Amino acid sequence: MNEKRNGPSLTLLLGTPITEPRGSLFGRLNDIAVATGTDAGRIAGLVLKTKKGLELVPATEVMGTPSGALELRSTEAVQPLRGDENFILLKHDLLDRQIIDVHGRKVVRVNDVDLQWFSREEKQDLRVREVEVGLRGAVRRLLLGVMPRNALDKLARQFPPRVIPWEFVDVIEVDPARRVKLKIEHDRLAQMHPSDIADILEDLAPAEREAILTTLDEEVAAETLEEVEPKLQKALVESMDFETAAGIVEEMDPGAAADLLAELPEERSEAILGEMAPEERQEVEELLEFREDSAAGRMTPAFVQARVEATVADGIEALRMFEADPEGVTEIYLVDEKRALKGVVPLARMILAKPETRLDVLTDPRFISCRADAHQNDVAELFDKYNLRALPVVDSEGRLVGIVEADHVIAFLRDRL
Amino acid sequence: MLKRWRTRIFLFLAVLGPGFITANVDNDPNGILTYSQSGAQFGYSLLWTIIPITVALIIVQEMCARMGVVTGKGLSDLIREEFGLRMTFIVMVLLVIVNFGNVIGEFAGIAGSLQLFHLSKYISVPICAALVWLLAVRGDYKSVEKVFLTASAFYIAYIITGVLSGPSWHTAIVATVKLPPRAFWNQHGYVFMVVSVIGTTIAPWMQFYLQSSIVEKGVSIRKYAATRLDVIVGSIFTDVVAWFIIVACAATLWAHGMGNIAMPADAAEAMKPLAGSYAFLLFAFGLFNASFFAASVLPLSTAYTVCEGLGFESGVDRNFAQAPFFYWLYTLLIAGGVAVVLIPDFPLVQFSIFSQALNGILLPIVIVFMLLLINRKDLMGKHVNSHWFNAAAWLTAIIVTILSGILMFQQIGNVWKH
Repeated sequence: MNEKRNGPSLTLLLGTPITEPRGSLFGRLNDIAVATGTDAGRIAGLVLKTKKGLELVPATEVMGTPSGALELRSTEAVQPLRGDENFILLKHDLLDRQIIDVHGRKVVRVNDVDLQWFSREEKQDLRVREVEVGLRGAVRRLLLGVMPRNALDKLARQFPPRVIPWEFVDVIEVDPARRVKLKIEHDRLAQMHPSDIADILEDLAPAEREAILTTLDEEVAAETLEEVEPKLQKALVESMDFETAAGIVEEMDPGAAADLLAELPEERSEAILGEMAPEERQEVEELLEFREDSAAGRMTPAFVQARVEATVADGIEALRMFEADPEGVTEIYLVDEKRALKGVVPLARMILAKPETRLDVLTDPRFISCRADAHQNDVAELFDKYNLRALPVVDSEGRLVGIVEADHVIAFLRDRL
Repeated sequence: MLKRWRTRIFLFLAVLGPGFITANVDNDPNGILTYSQSGAQFGYSLLWTIIPITVALIIVQEMCARMGVVTGKGLSDLIREEFGLRMTFIVMVLLVIVNFGNVIGEFAGIAGSLQLFHLSKYISVPICAALVWLLAVRGDYKSVEKVFLTASAFYIAYIITGVLSGPSWHTAIVATVKLPPRAFWNQHGYVFMVVSVIGTTIAPWMQFYLQSSIVEKGVSIRKYAATRLDVIVGSIFTDVVAWFIIVACAATLWAHGMGNIAMPADAAEAMKPLAGSYAFLLFAFGLFNASFFAASVLPLSTAYTVCEGLGFESGVDRNFAQAPFFYWLYTLLIAGGVAVVLIPDFPLVQFSIFSQALNGILLPIVIVFMLLLINRKDLMGKHVNSHWFNAAAWLTAIIVTILSGILMFQQIGNVWKH
């Protein structure tokens, strides 16, 4: 049937008269309630405005009539709406609000919601199909009441649709209590690339940003926070309590964490450090000692190292044991018993060699390193001159203390543009 | 000692930001024309309006600043979320028309001020429009804010002109704190001028612009005191400038019985033989600065506001393909403003009256929306208006509404008569 493909839109459906089986007016459609939690996305019922106030009826208990009104199968299924149910109300909570389009990776404002009738156990049920964010929805909203609904629907369909399928819609709820109650968890958002989540955060208001960041799990939140621009980073961390902030900062790359904490007021960064686990805390504290514009200020202490006499098999084992994200690793560093840097082995060369080969055979005799107090401009120059992907940083006694990675240099150079 | 003073001045300047800029843009060519006219026609007798105007300006602007800081959302965002798409659409259409009228005024100001230096408008206006367009598209918020703050500082030119014009300080100060004798009220056009002065001071676009810039700047609630100071200092500085414009015109044009000013540049021209060429230069330069400054702010602010409210992609950090509506609107406002100023015999005066009339419709709507929004506990938490503030704000809203209504009908009446 025709309605199946062209479902009604929320705007055009709201206000529809609902009649009793005998035909007299029972009420009008006021809103549509969508379930949350395990039933997430299913329409829990139609909210009717009747003489007794707001009432709820399952969508299966109404039928369409030729006149366009909806008819109740029986009045028994109608229950009063208490107001404390775990529903998202489409008109109240969604229309005109900002949502996250998880697929399109951006924040958009809802103009209308497209619904769809479908058959369920020989009855008609309603579901949410997609959210309309373009001109089509806007035309319906603007001209409603100015012209007859049928004509308006025809007119609106002349405009190209801009829709987001319901499964890609992520609702933002600022109130923490309600967020927990509605079980809004941003699962789908968490699947996105942290840089994309960061872009989305930048488009939202502070309360909404905080709501999302604190709902994400700490690891994703940390990766996201690393990608957010420094000013916003600071504002976000300042708005959280110390414990939440510490949980997220702990998961961040120590270099990025130190940069962030250095921006905060002293007592605030102290308080956050105080809440962190001792190991991560020490790493970050060491980095905080350095000047921000030096190689040490830009470096991360997370790198893969092996003893100078180690073999390829040992090197691969070291890579397996590496705690931070192994994807960014490009080189393995060889150190002696005093932790002095003795060699740099590119990952590719190690993989191509036999397991029993000694790593120091594979190192480049002229490997490049820099001192911890080198200026970041010099670091960038080294990267350019020697086409580096990573640069080991050593202290005054030649001991390896960290590495600067290419993306840190790119970030710094872009800041200067 | 010197160092302490330097720190103090630095601290003071560090506070200045969106509030100071917004209030200063308000002294655009239309504003300058009104102040010049009132000084030229009625001398010092309109100076008493300055104090109540300042209070009203502070009340309205402070509410916007507070809403921006607390909700982190622009005014058009909030109107959209709380009053729906249709209401937002109506407000946005009115705002675009009103602001377009203002943009025309700004470009006319650029044309007029540079004509004083014998530069043809067919050269000056297109060049300035291109500069305006580039400033926003190429600059980021921080650098643009610095440029704007510098532009605001140039308003001092008017204060110097006021001093150079050699006014009667005693009369001026007494007129500021004392209502004029009753005889004035019976003078033809006096009431109309009072209404005009008050009507040009609070414009709808300011509320949208101020709130968005505060959101963009990312001010946190803890630092709100500084933002409030910014708003207050800005409003006072703006009205001090207005005071000096009135005084300068009163001391020169009014004293010599030259009351008739039709364009903002006329005042500068007329001042030349009376107050010397420095006063002329400063007045003309001030006018150019004000016009250029307002022309940079208004189209951009309009494009931002409309896109925010209607849910289009916006922002100069996006490119043309990502935010087409934003760039089209922005470009059309500027191009349209230029075109109108350059078309020979365009009914400039009628159009500005038309946009002023819409201004009178839009302003009450915006202020009422603001008052409804700022008293919402769910949005503002404990930062809703206090009872006393509410009383003052509603009173301001009612007075401003009535005055802009009177202005609107007067101007429509004038058009009918002609």
